[in-house]
Amino acid sequence: MDVIVKSVSRLLFPFILLFGVYIAVHGHLGPGGAFPAGAIIATGFALLVVAYTEADVEHNLTRHELIDMKSVAGIILVVLILNIGYKSRFDIISTQKLFEFWSGGFTPLLNFAGMFMVITALVMIIYTMMRE
Amino acid sequence: MRKIVATVLVLYLGLFIFMGLVSLPAFGSFESKHVAEYYLQKGVFHTGSANLVNAIVWDFRGYDTLGEETVLFTAAMGVFLVVRRKEYGRYRKKRV
Repeated sequence: MDVIVKSVSRLLFPFILLFGVYIAVHGHLGPGGAFPAGAIIATGFALLVVAYTEADVEHNLTRHELIDMKSVAGIILVVLILNIGYKSRFDIISTQKLFEFWSGGFTPLLNFAGMFMVITALVMIIYTMMRE
Repeated sequence: MRKIVATVLVLYLGLFIFMGLVSLPAFGSFESKHVAEYYLQKGVFHTGSANLVNAIVWDFRGYDTLGEETVLFTAAMGVFLVVRRKEYGRYRKKRV
């Protein structure tokens, strides 16, 4: 691709990541959540893949690393959903105030872990489609 | 024998689906005794999250969302299997 496209996408990529993480960790306070956040971050990766080549991007984030990320995020999700290690969530929720950042019990953590699962699936699809 | 077992299983599943259909409210009339009203009334108290959609998706229906994520990963694996390099298979055959 053109050098302008390369430079601009390289500069823009961290901000896309930041915006996606913001959408994920504020999912319990406003519109958003794990699925839109993962889609936004995967769009950032799609931008990199289009501006550079697929091999350049995959050199930095390989498929095996993606699958590892997916596994760890899945284990965290299972632990959080099954409520392992906590007697009840009311102990956490009762100490928090509504509309503050640390509220919502496990929902921000669940959003954050679910974001990684969406990222891995979509980025793997992007890699596979762009390689052909 | 297999046909009989399959027929019985299908009828059993159909019975459950029919029971679920019968217990639905009539078309066009919303009765507020269902679970939606409970979510609206008690959702903030139970989950503590201001975004009720997210509370339902992750806290009330966590298993459902986990399965959804798994479906997404299965879709990625399906794309990976269908749209993979053909040279890769030939290379493997030569080497092994």
